[in-house]
Amino acid sequence: MAATKAMGVDGPLFKRALLGSLIWLGTNHEEVNRLNVFPVPDGDTGTNMLLTLQSAVEDVKESNAAEVSKIAKLASHGSLMGARGNSGVILSQIFRGFARAVEGKSSLTPAELAAAFEEAANAAYRAVNKPTEGTILTVAREAGRAAAAAASGMDTNVPRVIAAAAAGARAAVLKTPSQLQILRDAGVVDAGGYGLQLILEGMLKTVEESEPAAAMLAEARKPISPASQVSLALPEGGWGYCTEFLIEGMNLDTELIRGQIEALGNSVLVVGEPELVKVHVHTDDPTSVINLAGGYGKLLKLNVGDMSTQHRRILETEGGTATSAPRPNGIGIVAVVAGRGLVEIFRGLGVDAIIEGGQTMNPSTQDMLTAIESVPYDEVVLLPNNGNVIPAAKQVIGLTKKKVHVVETHSVPQGVSAVVAFRPERPADENLRAMKAEAERVQTIEVTHAVRDTRSNGVKVKKGDVIGLINDRLEFAGADYADVIKQALGKLGPDAYELVTVYRGQQATDAEMSRLESEIRNNYPSLEVEVQQGGQQHYPFILSVE
Amino acid sequence: MKRSFAVVTDSTADLPDEWRDRYGIEVVPLKVLFGTETFRDRVDMTDEQFFARLAASSALPKTSAPSPGEFAEVYRRLAKDHDGCISIHIGEQLSATAEAARVGASSVVGFPVNVVDSQTVSMPIAFLCRVAAESPTLADATEAVQRRVPKCRVLALLDTLRYIEMGGRVSRAQAMIGTMLDLKPLLLVADREIKSVDRVRTRSRAIPRMVEFFRTEMPVETLAVMHAQAPDEAEEIASELRRELPDLDVPIGQIGCVLGTHTGPKALGLVYLKA
Repeated sequence: MAATKAMGVDGPLFKRALLGSLIWLGTNHEEVNRLNVFPVPDGDTGTNMLLTLQSAVEDVKESNAAEVSKIAKLASHGSLMGARGNSGVILSQIFRGFARAVEGKSSLTPAELAAAFEEAANAAYRAVNKPTEGTILTVAREAGRAAAAAASGMDTNVPRVIAAAAAGARAAVLKTPSQLQILRDAGVVDAGGYGLQLILEGMLKTVEESEPAAAMLAEARKPISPASQVSLALPEGGWGYCTEFLIEGMNLDTELIRGQIEALGNSVLVVGEPELVKVHVHTDDPTSVINLAGGYGKLLKLNVGDMSTQHRRILETEGGTATSAPRPNGIGIVAVVAGRGLVEIFRGLGVDAIIEGGQTMNPSTQDMLTAIESVPYDEVVLLPNNGNVIPAAKQVIGLTKKKVHVVETHSVPQGVSAVVAFRPERPADENLRAMKAEAERVQTIEVTHAVRDTRSNGVKVKKGDVIGLINDRLEFAGADYADVIKQALGKLGPDAYELVTVYRGQQATDAEMSRLESEIRNNYPSLEVEVQQGGQQHYPFILSVE
Repeated sequence: MKRSFAVVTDSTADLPDEWRDRYGIEVVPLKVLFGTETFRDRVDMTDEQFFARLAASSALPKTSAPSPGEFAEVYRRLAKDHDGCISIHIGEQLSATAEAARVGASSVVGFPVNVVDSQTVSMPIAFLCRVAAESPTLADATEAVQRRVPKCRVLALLDTLRYIEMGGRVSRAQAMIGTMLDLKPLLLVADREIKSVDRVRTRSRAIPRMVEFFRTEMPVETLAVMHAQAPDEAEEIASELRRELPDLDVPIGQIGCVLGTHTGPKALGLVYLKA
């Protein structure tokens, strides 16, 4: 569709714009990944944003809504459910702000579009506790300002407003190193900000050019490899079927539908608007659910999966057991963990459901929500065990009827300490206090290889170097695991500690393991050393020092 | 003063030698088996010898209750100078000792033996023996001991789970320690159960947690600190508690071979009778 002066942003146009964003970010997300400041193999910003955007567009693709407000609302909800990582969560807040700003509107004038961009940025600022300049927030704000300036000019139109927003974003991205020391040190621009720039550019391309080629669309539809697998304890009465579909109809009452669906299953999610409602339910009787929903309108994207089969498969591969006695305090524990050995350790400590992921693939809010819904408790403690997972974890609060507490564990050792402190007979507030205190007491040393040349925290590293992090801060670089760990232990001051637990990763060889053990014992004879098979990827060794 | 009735216990009572001599309490030993070698607890082997051997041994030793015949022999001997006897033993949820005592007693005709299942282990049994020994009659002794049985507590801090798990007395799941991690469990023996009250990663933090839990159990009638090859830490804990509880005598006891087989070395315990 060619752009014309008179064109406003209606539902179909906004839908195309979002699809264009997805294609453009999908084409370039690896470039965003490479901008990660931290040279550790971590939840990559580009991938996280792409997965979040994919989720935002998921329901939009199926909608024929004419009103921009409806498309914006679907995108807002989808991004919220799929939010991963810090930038993904902020992106979901941007969509949310945009959806609020356009509420009730069927089409946007250039000025209304610009105002919506500005409101989207404001909403993102409000959602962040301590907004930092030089990040995606700054880029969103500058894009909004540029759009507003363009909208107030003479002879304005929608493509010009979007072009101004994209240009504003680009200029802001280039300035991010001057605002953030860590970016300056690493010699990169902000990855999240760049991701937002790509999203705006993708919109611009769609609006300016003809409809995106079918091939490109197909490319965008290609799903990214599943980020994480949720492995769960078996609920009473089995799993039944995961049933998902959209209802297209008139004057749909989400509350009413939710009430009726809830009678037929659990993990019920009914969201949407009077014309389009998304339903998700775990049920033993999908036929009744479908019959019920069919009475309200046309069913789209129907998907019924046998979860018992999936669940058995997960359990078989893990060799786990799915039984546990109910806890007197009625509190469940859900943790984000990767690595076969670590999964076993967390399970053994009493964790009810594990979301596999963390280090390289950050699980989405939806993944965590599903795990929380699966445990037989109405109150749940969620352990993210990774700094990048914390934002998405916090989004879960409020998306479920269950009371969710996020204990902000930044690492596996912190997670282990928190679970160890949990007592099944103790009330929630006491448990939370103890878990938090114990998590903060433990020191974490992580060893990995630098994925790029960089400077961080005053340490210069080359791609491939062995790097040692203490509590998420890069402290040492070298050629050898044992040397780097020895330095890190020395920096912590071994006299203040008594036990080192080594979680051995998949990559670490027997020779490396025994050399590390003897290095620690020889250099720090007062420390007790315990070795556990963690089986985690990318981090040959994770050490807990306490 | 000559009592008309005798007091019998078994070696798991960790009865201090001084009490045994002062009150004339009879101790029937349980047995420890290293492979095919059998040792009578605290008779053929001292605690020091036992823990040295435990450390050096690749397979864990097994333990076994005295036989009914051994009990019968003791009762028959006591019947010569006494009108009856109270026989106080390790909890039946933990050992077949009390059952062996009952069977043994039934074969000694005309000598009344009141077998008491203490439901506990270690020095609380010694406390019960002392209560019995200080009672004027067998009926009084039995009543006073039975009344205190539900009040016996053993709070044990193990340095490792390895021994108790191998001994089969506590499963990892029971102790909420089903993990590969070598946690230091704080266990409470009470009401015929072994419950996990806490689990801690390091010893230096576990000891204060044990004392902290004990404070929630106060007031107590009697208290002792137990240890397996950890006398310095036991002394530290005892002096802290003596300062806090000046009216109580807080003796330090050693965990014997049979119990030590299940606790492993470096175990610490607070044992008490709730007031």
